Amino acid sequence: MLNPLRSESEAFRFLVYVAVLVALVVGVVVLVRAL
Amino acid sequence: MESSSAALGYAPLRDPAGATHDEHGHPPEANRSSRVDAQFLGMLLFIISEVMLFGAFFTAYFFIRVVGGAEWPAEGTSLPVAVAGVNTAILISSSFTMHWALESAKAENRAGMRVGLLVTFLLGLSFLCIQVNEYVHLDFGPASSAQGTIFYGLTGLHGAHVFVGLLLLSFATIRAFRGHFSPTEHRGVEVPGIYWHFVDVMWIIVFATIYIL
Repeated sequence: MLNPLRSESEAFRFLVYVAVLVALVVGVVVLVRAL
Repeated sequence: MESSSAALGYAPLRDPAGATHDEHGHPPEANRSSRVDAQFLGMLLFIISEVMLFGAFFTAYFFIRVVGGAEWPAEGTSLPVAVAGVNTAILISSSFTMHWALESAKAENRAGMRVGLLVTFLLGLSFLCIQVNEYVHLDFGPASSAQGTIFYGLTGLHGAHVFVGLLLLSFATIRAFRGHFSPTEHRGVEVPGIYWHFVDVMWIIVFATIYIL
């Protein structure tokens, strides 16, 4: 299981996952608001 | 007690209060976790407590905007989304350079580690300077409205964390240039790296909630 507080490489992977997830959520919200 | 006696090689003396000391007056060695390195454990606990602190600020934001139904941004004000977007790109880039510095440290690429740390520091400093410039040019202050208060509260809290991160990075960079790190011993780079990625994750969430949504 990914533990972002165990090592820097896991923290970096967690950051990438969060960035992608937030971008998706924001994209969906902005799209819904535009429609 | 027995393990410290074995480590010392002799039975520790006792003072009148009952505390144990070796013959030089030093207290017994502190208990350490056998599973987690002390430096990592320290940063782990610190980050967990800071996540809770950010949680408190996000809760205030939630009550102001969602429960209170306050207009966002406050009437008559605007948020510099484009500038904050550039700042987001800068901070995300700094996490990539930080990761590169760590990978270089593990691969005994000292030049890469030093350049990576230096560039990460400079990118973080740029982020902070742009944030300060943004504050100067905003058309509202922290006392203007509840929305203004929580905006400055959340972004300011994050800025303070960036400042702490820059301190850690400066220590790591100076030590890297002094040749303190090796492929097997580079906790002084890895622990600040974990903290820096936490700072970046918090900014992504702050940026998305405050500026975009």
